[in-house]
Amino acid sequence: MRTRRIILTAVTLVLGIVGLAPMIVMFARSLMGDGGFSLEGYRKLLTTERSWQLLGNSLELALLTALLSTLVGLPLGLLLGKTDLPLRRVFVMLFTLPLVIPPYIIAVSWANVLGPQGLAAGLWGEPTARVIGGLLFGLPGCVLVLVSTFMPAILLATLTFVRTVNPGLEEAARLSARPLRVLWDITMPLIRPGVLLAATLVFLLALGELGVPMFLRYNVFPVESFAQFSAFYNFGAATAAAVPLAVLTFVVLGVEWFVLREKSQALRPVPAGGATMVVQLGRRCVCLFGLVSVLCALVVVAPMLSLLVQAGSLGAYLRALHAVRDSLLHSLLLAAIGATGLTVLGFFVGYLIHTRALPIWRAVDAGTVLLFALPSTVIGMGLIVLWNRPSTNFIYATPLMILLGYLAQYTALTGRVTVAGLALVPPSMEEAAASAGAGWIRRLGLIVLPLLKHALLSGWLIAYIFCLRDTGISMLVYPPGYDTLAVRIFTLMANGAPDLIAAACVLMIATTVLPLVGVALVVRTQGRRPWQ
Amino acid sequence: MAESNALSQWLMSKSIIATVTAATGLVAAVIVGLLGCSSKQQGVVIYVSEDQVFSEPILRDFERDTGIRVMAVYDTEEAKSTGVMNRLLAEKNNPQADVYWANEPIRAEVLKQQGIAATYRSPSAQGIPANFEDQQGYWTGFSARARVLIVNQAIPDKPKSITSYANPASNGRAVIANPLFGTTTAEIAALFILWGDEKAKAFLADMKRNNVKIATSNGESADFVASGQFAFALVDSDDAVNRMKQGKPVELIYPDQGDNEPGCFIVPNAVVLINGGRHPEAGRKLADYLLSRETERKLALSDAAQIPLHEGVDAPAPVRKIETIKTMKTDYALVARKMQEIEPLLKQWVGY
Repeated sequence: MRTRRIILTAVTLVLGIVGLAPMIVMFARSLMGDGGFSLEGYRKLLTTERSWQLLGNSLELALLTALLSTLVGLPLGLLLGKTDLPLRRVFVMLFTLPLVIPPYIIAVSWANVLGPQGLAAGLWGEPTARVIGGLLFGLPGCVLVLVSTFMPAILLATLTFVRTVNPGLEEAARLSARPLRVLWDITMPLIRPGVLLAATLVFLLALGELGVPMFLRYNVFPVESFAQFSAFYNFGAATAAAVPLAVLTFVVLGVEWFVLREKSQALRPVPAGGATMVVQLGRRCVCLFGLVSVLCALVVVAPMLSLLVQAGSLGAYLRALHAVRDSLLHSLLLAAIGATGLTVLGFFVGYLIHTRALPIWRAVDAGTVLLFALPSTVIGMGLIVLWNRPSTNFIYATPLMILLGYLAQYTALTGRVTVAGLALVPPSMEEAAASAGAGWIRRLGLIVLPLLKHALLSGWLIAYIFCLRDTGISMLVYPPGYDTLAVRIFTLMANGAPDLIAAACVLMIATTVLPLVGVALVVRTQGRRPWQ
Repeated sequence: MAESNALSQWLMSKSIIATVTAATGLVAAVIVGLLGCSSKQQGVVIYVSEDQVFSEPILRDFERDTGIRVMAVYDTEEAKSTGVMNRLLAEKNNPQADVYWANEPIRAEVLKQQGIAATYRSPSAQGIPANFEDQQGYWTGFSARARVLIVNQAIPDKPKSITSYANPASNGRAVIANPLFGTTTAEIAALFILWGDEKAKAFLADMKRNNVKIATSNGESADFVASGQFAFALVDSDDAVNRMKQGKPVELIYPDQGDNEPGCFIVPNAVVLINGGRHPEAGRKLADYLLSRETERKLALSDAAQIPLHEGVDAPAPVRKIETIKTMKTDYALVARKMQEIEPLLKQWVGY
């Protein structure tokens, strides 16, 4: 027990230094002005009309994104998870694609389709394209991009949670009700907490999103915070601009905890033999298949295709590869190391939360989720304030800064995956090993880790994707000569050739998707579905 | 059987522990490797505000010609090209950069005022007009952009002066980049110095009365004019040349070239050597390289379409030689101070 306590305390300390300390230092810095204590940044925040406008914009964007993502993702999830619609697996994979791609690349691809110089201009003429382009660069465009990016989160949550519903309940209801009625009256109420959780996550992700509103010129708090730091070098105003987001995040997480605390479903193993209820679509199959195909073509295929068309020739890819080669290698290396570090840290954090081994487990849980929901630029600024000094230059001047940012922001992901995985491990197994005299380390190696290997692999992949697509942290803290691919694409956007940028985006997508395809193939050979 | 199970479990636990140990060791080794990537290693560190697509080829040429490795940090459009300058300010007590390539001299002046710039008179700077370098040698200008009017070809009465923004005939027809950022701020500050505060404020008020559209960037202003949504815009010369090369129906007008007019505002790039940089010798070599006639020639021929400041350096049309343009007399140090002074006014004007 002593070893467990020491190691988990050490992990908590690491998390505190990596994640909490930059936030504290940054907050303290925001209270300084003209050499003394000052609340000027906060006074301005509360008294200017612009702040309230930004708050309104941020909330509007996050709410619309969460609402529309749920309205599309939930029925789609039911359709793909509970019916006999053809090509369900293909659809799931296609719809999931935008989730693993950096959102701003989706924005670039939509601009290729609907922008003033885009494909729409060629199809419908410049005046029409100008009107559509006007909508793209603003709230409607941001909502479109973020819904197509985050809707898969609702879809995947629905797919996951419908498989946790006790088939006996559905079968019993089928005795006296039609399948659709069973879905509505039995399945939906049971999966509602899980879907609500996913919708909350989408709300928070949209609230903290920087790249898309920045590219599509829609003013929200993360953009304001970034501009206050990068363009005006005003730490006070930058931090103050981040505070409403932090408060909102706290409130939303608090509400989520209050509403769902008694309703959260424990994940349980998927029943063998496909025992869950499957709704036969019958005559409606063709119509629904067509509808899903059109949605897929519009939301996924069209923007991806636009990048391929824009990139055009093989020459563009070769030039792009030459231009971004070093950045690509940096990204791969940092994402791999970051994902490994996050898997290790997330495992111990998840273990702490699951077993409640230390009294501060709830604070650790809330802290990691809060760090995940905060705008990445805020974390980047905090890291700069904390580590930018001669005595810590061995960290500040190296790519370790980027890794620290990854650990600070994304531990919640691997932690939550570990918690979900541990929920499937009967506690009696570890208890039996303890009774037999096995120490904690031995129990982890002998019992817990082997049983968690799939969850840890999933966690690693999720962490890899998030590290690879990170822009906010990397853009602020990358050391000289060590930019990542996401940053390189952003800097190329200033006067870079459109075909080169499109080709670089395609390379980015390939880098993200290829490991997933590899894992999906391996998983498929084991008879499991990739989203499991 | 029981022994066999125990053995396999023991081996499994050993292999997992070994895997975890190996992974941790690998991560540790790579982290140690990454720690070695600090800017202490041989080379030169440069922070760049000029667009990466234009600046990177020059830096690659420097690497090839000198064998000195360049480690660069580039700015993004989204940081309004002030991100790396602010990074330099943040690193004042812990400098990482040796050289700063500013895309306009105002940022160089700010660094001078903050004690971040070091003095250096490069031999390559000989031949660059004195008004494009700091008198004390804290920065030196090279390859400039001009602030020009981009005008849609379909417009019959083409504006010849920036005062056209205040002309009632331009109501709803003109666009300008957000004056809180970049070269537009610098030009407005220069106008405050040239005209005096009252006249400049009246000009801003007239612009507002004329419903001038505020774009997010010079590039967006140029696109608005190219698509015919607006008649004209004040932009950087490279934005205008870029649209002309794309075949857009626009033309480029150097404003205020008449006898009693102030001339065109010129925005040179600037090289700054950083105080306390870790590679001063390599930094000076890089500064010399950037200020050379050859670099100016390359930047004039590239899509950056910049105006060489050395006399006699080739510049393809429509880039004009500096000696053929009537330029606004500008004290960039005064402009830098004025920019800070008028920032609250501009924020109010924009509604920020």
